[in-house]
Amino acid sequence: MEDLKIRFITNFIKDDRWKYFTNGLETTYIVSFFAIVLGVVIGVLIAVVRSTADTIERPNLVIRILNWICRIYLTVIRGTPAMIQLLIMYYIIFGSVDVSKRVVAILTFGINSGAYVAEIIRSGIMSVDRGQFEAGRSLGLNYVQTMWYIVIPQAFKNVLPALGNEFITLLKETSICGYIALTDVTHGANTVRSQTYDPYLPLFGAALIYLISVSFLSALVTRMERRLRVNER
Amino acid sequence: MSAEKQVLFDIKGLCKSFGKVQVLDHIDAQIYKGEVVVIIGPSGSGKSTFLRSLNLLEMPTGGRILFEGKDMTDPRANINEYRQKIGMVFQHFNLFANLTILENMTLAPMKVLKKSKEEAEAEAMQLLKRVGLEEKANAYPAQLSGGQKQRIAIVRSLCMHPDVMLFDEPTSALDPEMVGEVLAVMRDLALEGMTMVIVTHEMGFAREVGSRVLFVDEGKIKEENTPAEFFDHPRHPRLVEFLSKVI
Ligand SMILES: Nc1ncnc2c1ncn2[C@@H]1O[C@H](COP(=O)(O)OP(=O)(O)O)[C@@H](O)[C@H]1O
Ligand SMILES: [Mg+2]
Repeated sequence: MEDLKIRFITNFIKDDRWKYFTNGLETTYIVSFFAIVLGVVIGVLIAVVRSTADTIERPNLVIRILNWICRIYLTVIRGTPAMIQLLIMYYIIFGSVDVSKRVVAILTFGINSGAYVAEIIRSGIMSVDRGQFEAGRSLGLNYVQTMWYIVIPQAFKNVLPALGNEFITLLKETSICGYIALTDVTHGANTVRSQTYDPYLPLFGAALIYLISVSFLSALVTRMERRLRVNER
Repeated sequence: MSAEKQVLFDIKGLCKSFGKVQVLDHIDAQIYKGEVVVIIGPSGSGKSTFLRSLNLLEMPTGGRILFEGKDMTDPRANINEYRQKIGMVFQHFNLFANLTILENMTLAPMKVLKKSKEEAEAEAMQLLKRVGLEEKANAYPAQLSGGQKQRIAIVRSLCMHPDVMLFDEPTSALDPEMVGEVLAVMRDLALEGMTMVIVTHEMGFAREVGSRVLFVDEGKIKEENTPAEFFDHPRHPRLVEFLSKVI
């Protein structure tokens, strides 16, 4: 018991080592938050292009080209590991440019997540009864207005649980940030471990932080689901 | 037909095919201002497709549709401008599930006609009162009965001040006890002089309210007449057969 107390102090208190965790947490949260926002924006845009191309009878050239670009993006992003994407982004795309590592991480995870969000939202758009779209158009609303005010809100509600899962996956996936020497929670824990030679407490500490964060995110999504469900009562 | 009767829809050689299946076969018809045209016919004969062509929810594959003298089927035409003036009521109501009743009714007036929220809401409340549903303004569609939903769908269209209203089997999805309340709203509209095109199986209503009845069969208009002649002295053998089955 006494031993555990000493190890706790060594790993978390001494030399302000807790700062590795709190600074790491800040990075993890900032990267996750902005990557989620970016992912949703990319995802919605791609989902709209893809479902437009699928539903209209004779898609014009612009839609066909956009749809083709989207499909390449989806294939590449979903067909390669996020870690490789992160390394390519850092060492190749931004290799000779001086940008913050956080920005590199946000872009990587946002672009990565966008591909998954796109397919989730697309399935949501497909799940909305076509009559909703037709009613909107028959009132004189244009395509974009009908999608924005009618179809996408309903699609979003239908896929919120799946989106929640994607956000949780993204939050945990940011743990590979250490590969570009960006100090997130995982990288912070690793740094402490290399200083104290104690594998247990830093790693369990990091695990606990992720667990709590994910629970928090889960609760947030559940609350949003409940709020969006008022119109079913 | 008096000379000043204004043609609202002038339909010329309208054709529609889905792939190789021809659903509408060179339909010629006119809809005049103030008329109530009722369309009847067997299931699958193309009634919905015909009605949906009138606001271009189905793009014709042949022929032309002139609305108030202008060719809607011209590829350069602004479809949204036509649709504002053509109300549509669907069999399955299609109220916007994510919006309250009031929001259902004010969305298009605000976004399309650029009305202020206050103005759009005042007008919507007026119409809700007219169909006796003002206390449902803040309810969501899922909280209403079928008959209530369909009455809302009708007044939602009226918020756009359409020149004509299209009804595609507006009472077919309703429990029998709710059919009457929806037909009553439609009857009032007809009495006010609204131009209406109605696909329905309610023969009594067609006879009472219709100015003309069309029989659509195999993608063609096989007979058209005043309701009395249409029902009492049907001529086309297919119509005779159809009426003997449904009445
Ligand atoms: N979007 C579509 N794709 C393919 N076939 C269709 C489509 N809509 C209607 N049809 C076909 O067109 C025919 C006429 O349909 P419809 O106009 O709905 O008939 P009605 O309303 O008279 O019952 C039917 O055979 C139907 O299967
Ligand atoms: Mg039909």
